[in-house]
Amino acid sequence: MSDAHDTHGELDMGHHHVSSSAMFSSVLVALLFLTFITVAVAQFDFGSANMLIAMGIAAVKASLVIAFFMHVKWDTAINKIVFLSSFLFLSLLFVFTLADLFTRRLDNEMHITRSPVDKGWVHPSTIEGGH
Amino acid sequence: MSHDDHHAVTIPAPGPEFVPHEVAHHFSTPVQEFQAGKLGFWLFLATEILLFGGLFAAYFYYHEMYPETFVLGGKQLDWKLGALNTSVLLLSSWTMAMGVRSAQTSQKKKTLTYLGLTVLGAVIFMCIKYIEYSAKNEHGLIEFGHLFDPYNEGTGQLAWFTDHDGVMASVPHGHMFFAIYLTMTGIHGLHVVIGAGLIIWIMVGTAKGRFHAGYYMPVDLVGLYWHLVDLIWIFLFPLLYLVP
Repeated sequence: MSDAHDTHGELDMGHHHVSSSAMFSSVLVALLFLTFITVAVAQFDFGSANMLIAMGIAAVKASLVIAFFMHVKWDTAINKIVFLSSFLFLSLLFVFTLADLFTRRLDNEMHITRSPVDKGWVHPSTIEGGH
Repeated sequence: MSHDDHHAVTIPAPGPEFVPHEVAHHFSTPVQEFQAGKLGFWLFLATEILLFGGLFAAYFYYHEMYPETFVLGGKQLDWKLGALNTSVLLLSSWTMAMGVRSAQTSQKKKTLTYLGLTVLGAVIFMCIKYIEYSAKNEHGLIEFGHLFDPYNEGTGQLAWFTDHDGVMASVPHGHMFFAIYLTMTGIHGLHVVIGAGLIIWIMVGTAKGRFHAGYYMPVDLVGLYWHLVDLIWIFLFPLLYLVP
């Protein structure tokens, strides 16, 4: 991306996009408003949808920070690929971790824990109070 | 610094209060220097995402295993202090963005003011964090003096989690929430402290006139680091203080 500042010839640093103060302020207002929404929706019980809503709002806030505060919107393709690909690899970690968890819960009755007495592996229902 | 290199490039200072920037001798152009620095820093930030990502995976795993433990654990935290700290970090991200913008436009005094305000945000954040940790310590939910003590062989009781008010007694593995809370906010807090230190270092360079429209890469990179700290907290706040 280039803009009006790319006029210094060979001594120019290149690719420097100077955002307007008004844009930064608008992003800040949006982020504070979304924080308020995050707290507000947490007061209601939507069951398992609460997690999706909270993470959805957080993802929108994160996108605003990445695109505007971190200038990724105006960054080079290679920098975009490098940073955004970390989220791709992160999703692999989440998918395989949660796949393990959700399939394991089919065998919930086999769930074992440490005994507080002798530290051996026991079924949780055999422990008083469930601790 | 290169004095014997015939093709060394120097970026002139835009005014008397600034100093020229000499492009490192292993780069041919200022653009190459800037892009190499940026690419390296984005790679580093990608590793930071993966570092915190592992902790988030642990959070989601145990949240799914013991949902009632996490909901009750979250209720032991003060969401008002969490929301206040969220606002402080968002504001400091704004002052950081404005600081980078001021450096890009060679406004030395403005740069110093915005960077100073960003450090102030970091200090306020850590003060609030200290108040929160102290409360957890008092209630025996995270006893900082016993973090590395072995657990009681006889009772299986953890040294750092005594829960002497019994607030977590009704749920299994109450310590899991606080272990994850401390690890995530602790590593995040470490980043806040390191970030504040880097910003102070950048302020010294700014005061010396090293950063201006022709050369502001260090200000830009420290800014990215600070925004990442904000980015992580955006997810930590709802997950820990408003446990869904």
